Amino acid sequence: MQKVLLWIPQLLGGARNTIIITIISVGIGIVLSLFLALGKMSKHKLISKPCSAYIFFFRGTPLLMQIYFIYYGLPQINPALTIKSAFNAALLAFTLNTAAYLAEDIRAGVQSIDAGQFEAARTLGMSYWQMMRLVIIPQTIRRVIPPVGNEFIMALKDVSLVSIIGLSDLTKVTRQISSSQATAMVYIPAMIIYLIITAVFTAIFRQVEKKNSAY
Amino acid sequence: MSIIRTENLCKNFGELHVLKGVNLTVEKGEVVVIIGASGGGKSTFLRSLNNLETITAGSIYFEDKLFVRAENGKVLEEMPKKEKKEALLKMGMVFQRFNLFPNMTVKDNVMSAPVHVKKIPKAQAEETAMELLKRVGLADKADEYPSRLSGGQQQRVAIARSLAMSPDIMLFDEPTSALDPELVGEVLNVMKGLAKDGMTMICVTHEMGFAREVADKVVFMGEGKILEEGAPDEIFNHPKTKQAQQFLGSIL
Ligand SMILES: Nc1ncnc2c1ncn2[C@@H]1O[C@H](COP(=O)(O)OP(=O)(O)O)[C@@H](O)[C@H]1O
Ligand SMILES: [Mg+2]
Repeated sequence: MQKVLLWIPQLLGGARNTIIITIISVGIGIVLSLFLALGKMSKHKLISKPCSAYIFFFRGTPLLMQIYFIYYGLPQINPALTIKSAFNAALLAFTLNTAAYLAEDIRAGVQSIDAGQFEAARTLGMSYWQMMRLVIIPQTIRRVIPPVGNEFIMALKDVSLVSIIGLSDLTKVTRQISSSQATAMVYIPAMIIYLIITAVFTAIFRQVEKKNSAY
Repeated sequence: MSIIRTENLCKNFGELHVLKGVNLTVEKGEVVVIIGASGGGKSTFLRSLNNLETITAGSIYFEDKLFVRAENGKVLEEMPKKEKKEALLKMGMVFQRFNLFPNMTVKDNVMSAPVHVKKIPKAQAEETAMELLKRVGLADKADEYPSRLSGGQQQRVAIARSLAMSPDIMLFDEPTSALDPELVGEVLNVMKGLAKDGMTMICVTHEMGFAREVADKVVFMGEGKILEEGAPDEIFNHPKTKQAQQFLGSIL
């Protein structure tokens, strides 16, 4: 018991990194994914093809390889592409990856909106961006909160992959304690911390969902 | 001056030839009612006028100016972009399924296009919106969301939303056919009021009472063409074509 108390500060430090990487990458990923989703739905092939290719690539290859490649591979292509800190490399890989998944959620959300909404907006003279901003995106947001929430929870756990490039997230810290003190018992408080984080963010997303169901 | 004139308007969906040469002229202030069997291309015709469909062949004139001319699925001539946009703004459209924006209150539904598209100051747009809502009898619902309204109320809001853009002509595509029978009257009354105020209207509807009361002209569409047109009494009481006789027999 005494030992557990000693582990806690270290575990919480790891948890902090886990949460920061998740929030930043999902946050930036959402913005990026919106453009990817709209881009993939564009009538112009010059816009839709690259967006489709991006999404295909990041969903079609393992995140682990993407992290490796961004951290170790890019500098070999061109030294100018070196990302010094493991934290930034992990953040970049995660953001790019999450954006691809979120883009598909958003695209599904937009496509689930009745064609009549687009037609009414057009008949009223709205431009593409006015239609998106005033009519389509507000309705999409409401529909994509649950899948985005899921994506967030998945990302939270996928962050454990960043330990391979040396970043001290919750999983990495746990493994370090486990091997240095020769005990697997540290996994118990670590998993409890994961569960608490997941529960808190699930509750937050549920709250956001409620706030968005005024209509 | 005619507000809308079509010449030999044709529309194909792939192999399906839906409109096969529609010639219709709508004068300013006229109320035209279009009737015809389901699947006959009535919606497609209205949607073509409103640029929601690209026509396959023929021409459309708006206020005597060429709006679009096409042949073999290719647009040959078209109004300059800016003028075209302005012309489209003068055409209001009311859909069978209302298509109100569920994420906006009733008032925002009515004022959003005036504010964002026409750049009318908010206060002024709001005032107009409230006047229009009063006109359709829904001023007390201004702050509700559409989902809280009955179908008849939603359709009246949709009419107000369209009117807020000060259209020169209103297109109605079966505005009452998605409504419970007891809600049809309230929507028709609003439409009758508009007709009596001189609004130019093209209405696809099978409400004979409405047609008899306000229509200047009834058009019977079938086989992708206008098979018969004339005064309501003429069409309803003495249909000449077999198709019109059959159709009227089936709905009366
Ligand atoms: N976007 C479309 N693609 C293919 N076929 C269509 C499309 N819109 C309408 N049609 C077809 O065109 C025909 C006429 O439809 P419509 O104009 O809706 O008739 P109405 O309004 O008179 O009932 C129907 O056979 C319909 O299935
Ligand atoms: Mg129809």
